[in-house]
Amino acid sequence: MRPDTWHLFVDPAILKFFGEGLLATIGLSIASIALSFVFALLFALGRLSTRWWLRLPCIGYIEGIRALPVLLLIVYFNIKGSALFVPIFGADFELPRFWAGVLGLSMYTSAVLAEIIRAGILSLPRGQTEASRALGLSYAQSMRSVILPQALRLMVPAMMAQLTTIIKDTSLVGTIGVFELYRSAWIIFTQNFNPIEALFFIAVVYFVICFTLSQLSRRLEVGRAPREVRIKIAELQLRDQVA
Amino acid sequence: MGIVFEFPDYYLFPNGLWVTFQLSVLALAGSLVVGTVVALFRVSPVTPLRWVGGGFVEAFRNTPLLVQLFFFFFGLPLLGIRLSAEPLESNFRAAVIGLALYHAAYVAEIVRGGLLAVDKGQIEAARSLGLSYVGMIRYIQLPQAFRAVVPPLGNIAIALVKNTSLAATIGVSELLQGGELIESRTFRSVEAFGAVAILYLFLTIPMGLGVNWLERRMLVVR
Repeated sequence: MRPDTWHLFVDPAILKFFGEGLLATIGLSIASIALSFVFALLFALGRLSTRWWLRLPCIGYIEGIRALPVLLLIVYFNIKGSALFVPIFGADFELPRFWAGVLGLSMYTSAVLAEIIRAGILSLPRGQTEASRALGLSYAQSMRSVILPQALRLMVPAMMAQLTTIIKDTSLVGTIGVFELYRSAWIIFTQNFNPIEALFFIAVVYFVICFTLSQLSRRLEVGRAPREVRIKIAELQLRDQVA
Repeated sequence: MGIVFEFPDYYLFPNGLWVTFQLSVLALAGSLVVGTVVALFRVSPVTPLRWVGGGFVEAFRNTPLLVQLFFFFFGLPLLGIRLSAEPLESNFRAAVIGLALYHAAYVAEIVRGGLLAVDKGQIEAARSLGLSYVGMIRYIQLPQAFRAVVPPLGNIAIALVKNTSLAATIGVSELLQGGELIESRTFRSVEAFGAVAILYLFLTIPMGLGVNWLERRMLVVR
């Protein structure tokens, strides 16, 4: 029988170690969702554009990336990320692994969020666009001050649900050697040979965060987006719910 | 790109693709069975069963798949459960179990939605005609529920195919690991991962089109 190692998980030094991992996980998640939100907005607007040379690349990007495993993107940026930025930052540039992970995660998440935002924009009554255009606003103005504020507000619960997916996905970034919550458990259990205890411990931490967030997003959802939009979003998220 | 397909050990094609395919099919079958049982737990009239079902769904949905995979990979042997005498085979089985249970939680939620959507009158009529509870579930509620949940289950299947890539982290030689091996021997990352991406798209894009077709077809029927 193996020695009992549960006492490790009340040791303040070890708890601090896990705390640092948790902070890195939160940092990764926030950096990825912020970056992917910016790109998602661009891709969503691009896909809704009437110009085919803008619309087709956006459709290709969104559908292509959504059909790929996110771990593939993370592994790819880990290996090739530095080389991609050499033309910009010079020959001896080395992309930190943290940012390789953020790039991989946000490349995937931006495609998913773009679809969520697009569903939000399409759910608004056409009258909103027509009225604002009739009042003399340009396309850009009507998007910025009429359509997007309403669409994004509708999509807040869906985006929060996506955040729980990102938090779970950050564990994949641990596999390329970035220190985060999963990696901290990995370090602990490879040294003490207690994978059951260490993985159970972080599973509880992940559970508390993700369960709270998903309950919160469910609470917000009541009486918000129209029914068809909620169904559409639920379908989207099923396909893209990763690790 | 040619090097990838001519690579001596055939890591990617056809071996990697075949392993990914096997993982997907076995895990999908497992998740459908487990998910349906959990869904029946969640709608059962027995309260403790509903708690068990709810606990299963929330526990598996709110923790990362990677953590679950490693839990089964390292944990089961430590608990005295040896999946296979052969190491590679036992990695594969651990991956199938982990993937099946994780996706079973999502399947359970969908099937539960389908079960609840069946008209109450159908259930009452079945019971009053003398069908037992099990018979009513078997012949009335499940068949109608399954019809409605086919398109969302297709979405789960797509997610599952993509998630089989995580099996690479516990040493299953599927597509992604094949790509990593080729990359580490040739340093031609664009070709190696490009080929992996194409092979994944080869699996997921037709599935996506199929799901869209099913969704449209179901709309017309209703």
